[in-house]
Amino acid sequence: MAIHFIADHNLEALLERLRRYGELHAPVRGDDGVVRFSLLIPGIIPDLTALRTLLPPKKYLLHPRETILSYTSEAGYQLPVEISPPLIMFGLHPCDLAGINYLDRIFLGDEPDPLYAARRSATTLIGVACTPDELCSCQQILSPLKALSDLFLSNVEGGFAVASGSPRGDELLEGIKDILEEQEGDMPEDSRRFFGHAVSEQPRHELDVTLPEWQEYADKCLGCGACSICCPTCYCFDVLEFSGLDGRSAVRVRQWDNCLFKSHAQVAGGMSFRKDRAERFRYRYLHKYRSFGTLHGIPSCVGCGRCRVVCPTGIDLRPLAERLEEVHHG
Amino acid sequence: MVSALPVPAVIKSIRPLTTDTSLFMLHTEPGHPVASSFLPGQFLELSLPGVGAIPVSYCGYPSADGSIELCIRHVGHVTASLKVALPGDAVGVSGPFGRGFPLLSFAGQDLLLIAGGLGMAPLRSLLLELLKHSELFGRLILLYGARETGALLFLEELLEFKKRGAIELHLGVDHPDFCLVGPPDCRVALLPALLDRLDIDPGRSSAAICGPPVVYPQLVSSLRLQGMSDDRIHLSLERRMKCGVGRCGHCAVGTLLCCVDGPVFSNEDLAGIEGALT
Repeated sequence: MAIHFIADHNLEALLERLRRYGELHAPVRGDDGVVRFSLLIPGIIPDLTALRTLLPPKKYLLHPRETILSYTSEAGYQLPVEISPPLIMFGLHPCDLAGINYLDRIFLGDEPDPLYAARRSATTLIGVACTPDELCSCQQILSPLKALSDLFLSNVEGGFAVASGSPRGDELLEGIKDILEEQEGDMPEDSRRFFGHAVSEQPRHELDVTLPEWQEYADKCLGCGACSICCPTCYCFDVLEFSGLDGRSAVRVRQWDNCLFKSHAQVAGGMSFRKDRAERFRYRYLHKYRSFGTLHGIPSCVGCGRCRVVCPTGIDLRPLAERLEEVHHG
Repeated sequence: MVSALPVPAVIKSIRPLTTDTSLFMLHTEPGHPVASSFLPGQFLELSLPGVGAIPVSYCGYPSADGSIELCIRHVGHVTASLKVALPGDAVGVSGPFGRGFPLLSFAGQDLLLIAGGLGMAPLRSLLLELLKHSELFGRLILLYGARETGALLFLEELLEFKKRGAIELHLGVDHPDFCLVGPPDCRVALLPALLDRLDIDPGRSSAAICGPPVVYPQLVSSLRLQGMSDDRIHLSLERRMKCGVGRCGHCAVGTLLCCVDGPVFSNEDLAGIEGALT
């Protein structure tokens, strides 16, 4: 079987070529040692060995704070006009690709969210294989989410094997064919093996709220919300409205919200439907492992491990999930 | 799915109903589904430019001419600003959202409507719809409790329905202070107590409940004690619904979303779900 091979020494040429298709973003290690998805300036080498960026790529598709409606007394409420320039995201690991697949299921579909849909259709996803570390759980939990990409690079001796996953990917392959070599060989074993699995359709019983672990976790949790901010599939947003100084205009914005905050379930008059931290903690667990609404039954945890890295008190949900969910041990 | 983009509407009139609650009549584009095609129990998102948007239950009839009746209690960020709104002010409306009461399954049934406080607003919409087609239903019984007699909403209208023999009305108030000057037959009793003296046939009745969350567990257990099955008990839940289309992540009840799968749920849907009935 033939594979498309790109040699390590051609990586810079590949990146240069990709810049023709849009603004190129990739994981870059900053002077502060933090790895972030950011604009890849020519001459800077992306950090393809880092397993996780601090923030997941959701920041490109759902901005931390963005205008969703604008209002003028003449025109009423209007959708914002946003031009989404082509964006090439290079170096996405399978968990982040699966995270985008989850967000697609929420924000595309019957009535796509206009901002998300516009940015998503302007985005090219280029994945890179990785080897899970001790903080990852992509190799533990079967997920029906698919780690879909336009191009996917797998490590082979001296370079990468490149595979296309879409018509867009075919187009890119065509555009870079002069720096690819056709080699005899097999595609390396797919490191995405825990994504794309059918999960049981059996309705699962509700979570047992009497488990003592809930309170034990809640006692450790500071309610800071770092885990949600860093989660590739946490999409909760708050909706706020601000009046213009002219008194005749306004903007409505949505901004990342957090289910561990007390305000998350509070209604007018001050009543809260999740008063205790244990209830809020369980709400997050429920969303991560059971999902809401039409995605019920699909775990949204993609196993990237970011929540374990950023939690100031070292909370790790895996032991609990192993007990409560169907977990595959690889 | 319904577009979340608000369409312009104008406040036509504001009628104070109690010290903290007013009836707003809005007018929007004639024929727009936000005014013309909703089921009782569904809600719309009401936008007050520069202030914010809130979910509000419909409290009147669907109308082809663009009229919308909303019963607003001035307790929150947006509703407090609505307290100083004037007829002629511009607002925005989008919807209808969510699932309302299952009117089809009510055909041929005796209906027991149980309203607490502001919960009367969505149940008024249901009551008006049931009265419009009263030949399709059996007894229409309304239990309605409020803090005090002055807080009973739509009282004149309800007494008029009762006088006509269209409904059986049972009123209750929490505080006795003003009951002596209250409407006839108004008891000093918490809402669940109004159920005690009621004679219903649980096999041919359905219940529709909307009120403060605190009364739900007791109402549900009383109805079950009387033999009503969970699939006949319908409850409208309040949650923090920020977007109305199942995306903002605030209003989940278990793994159900209040804004899409509800806000009206049967008690069967809610079985075993933590915090559904608090």
